[in-house]
Amino acid sequence: MIRKNTETDVTMENIKPININERISRQVPLVAYTLLILLPLTLVFFASFKTLKQLYNDPLGIPEKWSILNYIRLFANENMLIYFKNSFFVTFTSVFFILLLGSMISYAIIRMPNVVGNILFGFVTLGMMVPTQVKMIPTYVLLSDLNLLNKHSGLILVTIATLIPICVFILTGFMKTLPKGLLEAAMIDGASHWQVYSKIVIPLSLPAIASTAIFSFVITWNDLLHPLLFIKSSSLKTLPLALLQFQGEYLTDYPMIFAGVVAASIPMIIIYIFFQRWFIQGMTAGSMKG
Amino acid sequence: MKKYKALSFFILPGIIFYILFFIFPTISALGLSFTDWNGLSPDYNFVGFKNYKLLLTDDPIFIKSVSNNLKYMFSVVVFQTLISLVFAILLAKNTKLNVFYRAVLFLPTIISSVSVAFVWIFVYEPSIGSLNAVLSALGLDFLIKSWLGDKNIAIYSLAFVQVWAHAGQVMIIFIAGLHAIPKSLYEVARIEGATKWQTFRNVTWPLLAPSATIVIAYTTLQSFKAFDLILATTDGGPSYATEILSLFLYHEAFNNFKFGYSSAIAVVFMLIIAVITIVQFRLLKSNKVNY
Amino acid sequence: MKKFRFFSALLAVLLVLSLVVVGCAPKEEPKGDTAKDEKVTLRFAHWRGEDRDAFNEIAKKFTAENPNITIEQDISNSQQYQTKIQAEVRAQGGPDIFTAMPGAVFAGLLTTQVFYELNGEDFISRVPDQLLLPGQDGDKQYAIPYQLVFNIPVFNKAILEEIGYTEDKLPKDWAGFLEMAEKIKAKGITPIIFDSEIGPGQFINPMLMNNMPEDDTLSKVETGETKLTDEWFVKTLEQFKELNDKGYFQKDVLGTKKAGAAALFAQGKGALLAQGSYMMATNKEANPDLKQGLYAPITVPADKMKYEGIHTATFMIGLNKNSKNLEAAKKFMEFLFRPEIAADYAKATGQMLTIKDVKYESEELAAQTTWLDKKTLFQPRYTLKITEVSKATLDAVTDVIGGMSPEDAAQKAQAEVERALKNK
Repeated sequence: MIRKNTETDVTMENIKPININERISRQVPLVAYTLLILLPLTLVFFASFKTLKQLYNDPLGIPEKWSILNYIRLFANENMLIYFKNSFFVTFTSVFFILLLGSMISYAIIRMPNVVGNILFGFVTLGMMVPTQVKMIPTYVLLSDLNLLNKHSGLILVTIATLIPICVFILTGFMKTLPKGLLEAAMIDGASHWQVYSKIVIPLSLPAIASTAIFSFVITWNDLLHPLLFIKSSSLKTLPLALLQFQGEYLTDYPMIFAGVVAASIPMIIIYIFFQRWFIQGMTAGSMKG
Repeated sequence: MKKYKALSFFILPGIIFYILFFIFPTISALGLSFTDWNGLSPDYNFVGFKNYKLLLTDDPIFIKSVSNNLKYMFSVVVFQTLISLVFAILLAKNTKLNVFYRAVLFLPTIISSVSVAFVWIFVYEPSIGSLNAVLSALGLDFLIKSWLGDKNIAIYSLAFVQVWAHAGQVMIIFIAGLHAIPKSLYEVARIEGATKWQTFRNVTWPLLAPSATIVIAYTTLQSFKAFDLILATTDGGPSYATEILSLFLYHEAFNNFKFGYSSAIAVVFMLIIAVITIVQFRLLKSNKVNY
Repeated sequence: MKKFRFFSALLAVLLVLSLVVVGCAPKEEPKGDTAKDEKVTLRFAHWRGEDRDAFNEIAKKFTAENPNITIEQDISNSQQYQTKIQAEVRAQGGPDIFTAMPGAVFAGLLTTQVFYELNGEDFISRVPDQLLLPGQDGDKQYAIPYQLVFNIPVFNKAILEEIGYTEDKLPKDWAGFLEMAEKIKAKGITPIIFDSEIGPGQFINPMLMNNMPEDDTLSKVETGETKLTDEWFVKTLEQFKELNDKGYFQKDVLGTKKAGAAALFAQGKGALLAQGSYMMATNKEANPDLKQGLYAPITVPADKMKYEGIHTATFMIGLNKNSKNLEAAKKFMEFLFRPEIAADYAKATGQMLTIKDVKYESEELAAQTTWLDKKTLFQPRYTLKITEVSKATLDAVTDVIGGMSPEDAAQKAQAEVERALKNK
């Protein structure tokens, strides 16, 4: 499932050979934890192949027959492809700008005099402390005034603003560990801030950017609250919003929701695997510093 | 000075969006904490500090929520940090197997918290659920509990789900941190004949401190602000045993139609987070290297 | 030179951003008046995901009749619905047609002043007068209930018949009810399946209906005329305790969610499901062999019985007076309240409706129609206008199930009520 090039693999912990006992003692917690993760998820996976009746009568068992009816219903009946497209558009656009704008702010923070940098850092990360529930209604009114309601652009703008604090928070922490001398030397050699940022800082921060990217992707992809408030037309709805339709007041179509959850997870798994590769590159880049 | 001026162009685009779409609505919400607005009607009155006075002097649910918040936060921060650190170290090497494990640990993060809630409602469900059935099958009947129904356990059952869902997520930060440690330092440690523990204590841990700071601070905020998961599982029950501040202010605003009061809760909520964050940074600073 | 690059980079960013803002989502909401030939899309916001297909069918029929009007459903679950509607009405951007629950929620929405006054519309007369009450404020009709629900336990006919209780022999007093529960328990079946999610809010109604001295005793708690520490409420809590202590509920009531409870009932592991008539269609879907009826325990001696059950007129439909397509919205509302359309809806969803002269076909709905002639009380919990008071009464039930004494639970609840009243 996951392809990896092991050639670039570098041992980074102790280089001593690991003996068999140690190997086994390493695997025990890993296997146990993996089971803890996978068993509940297996329930979801199984449930997505059941009818509601089967789920109610035998919630834990293996489906009697592996009917993909729920998936067919999901994609045939609904505008699922449109919802996927909308989610992709909103997520990719948001994450791109979150990373770009966030990493630029982080760069400025580490290059500024300490006091100014810290104040800016504090101001931006303050946003992480605000509970989303409290600014919902004022945000809604603001978008309404700007005529940005029921548009992807409004949703994207709010998402960017909401996630910049987390992005800056993670990236600044990492960028602060970069060797300052290296950046100064480049400036003395005549490089502009933009060059230092794009040619040195970004490549060196790839592992951190990859983690931030994954964070932002997952949060944006699964965000329910903002689309719920800002999107009205069904042609503009995102996946989590669309899945709400299967949740009834008294009768929730769990198998359909679970089928939707499985389908919605696949793009994120692919994105995860994609960014996962950056860790290796980042590791190589990181070892240059020493 | 000139070189700093150029930096403002790095800041401006992001900060403009942040101020317009984040700070501005937040401030207008906070202004409402001095009013009696119900969240619906076109008009409201200015009431000064009445909401704050009521909240701090005469609201048992507020006290209960803060204590639930702290219980939840402490258990999540301790266990999520430890678990993610242990697994990050075990999985730091980029072997095929490790990459697979990392992906598995990350899986729950991919699913939205609402879906995670669905899953665990099924797992915890006393009669048709799986957890008690598994415990019973293993002969561990004494461990069977009313996971979400017992006032003393429910908040911890939810904290467990939170860790389950997010340990793999913050593990990524630790792994990124581990990968940033120069390989040469390990060489030196090896040449000097350091034991594994010594290597961890003197090389890995100090250099991992920035990542640890990020993980702990992020987890603290994430657990303090937890919302979707609890809303979808217990909605604060039974008898307010899992009501935390975010849920409390949500209920006041959208169920009880007390938006002004809810805004006051939000202000106090942010002050508490700010205090916790500052204390935390102070504590972690002693651990810090070149931060 | 460097600076120039800087500016160009910045400009590029801003350009892309402004493109995002302006360019990418040109879809506008339908605007302007409802001219005869202009296309209109109405947004109908509600919280019943299970009714999506049914409303889609109805919307299709409506569009066939009114080719220039299309209906778009905007469905969220009930909790998210509340949040959404609150934000939307605040910015005057609410849906054209929307829904509300009776009681505190409706009272809250009334303060938005967005309901269109329906008094002049002739389709009001299609709903019996007493079922119109929950949607009124003074003499103004702001919303009309669509569904009729009996908030009393659903029972499994096969189980009760096996121990000799056919529908006409169901006990009409408390002693008889306890006797029946004991017999069910002796068979190894749970007498009452009671969940903590919606259970307390549903089951408290039939438990209160005969214990309250007056029909409006509960709502008088909000004016201070009655107290939750009074005999009628404490007695009700004691009866909850009795059912719990005697083991007539399933294990771990407080950990049981509505879906878990429904699953247990569908599996035939319980005789009564303490939810409401709306579950009958769901149960049938989960177990097609199930034969169900409705029955409420009578908490008093037979000669003191005033009511046999509880009814609620809910899923109240209203119009947004700020809607740009008010006339079209009125047309759709009239359409929904036609008996033949209502019958379609009832058939598709298994729900009973408030509208007169609707023909019900299914077995479950037929079982419910017999209840139209019985003496039922409007759901007392929905006579409460203050959410905190409503929550306090339900918390008292949860507390008792959790082991608190009825007196203490009642006192705690009354204290919460007094706090809510003081700060109103």
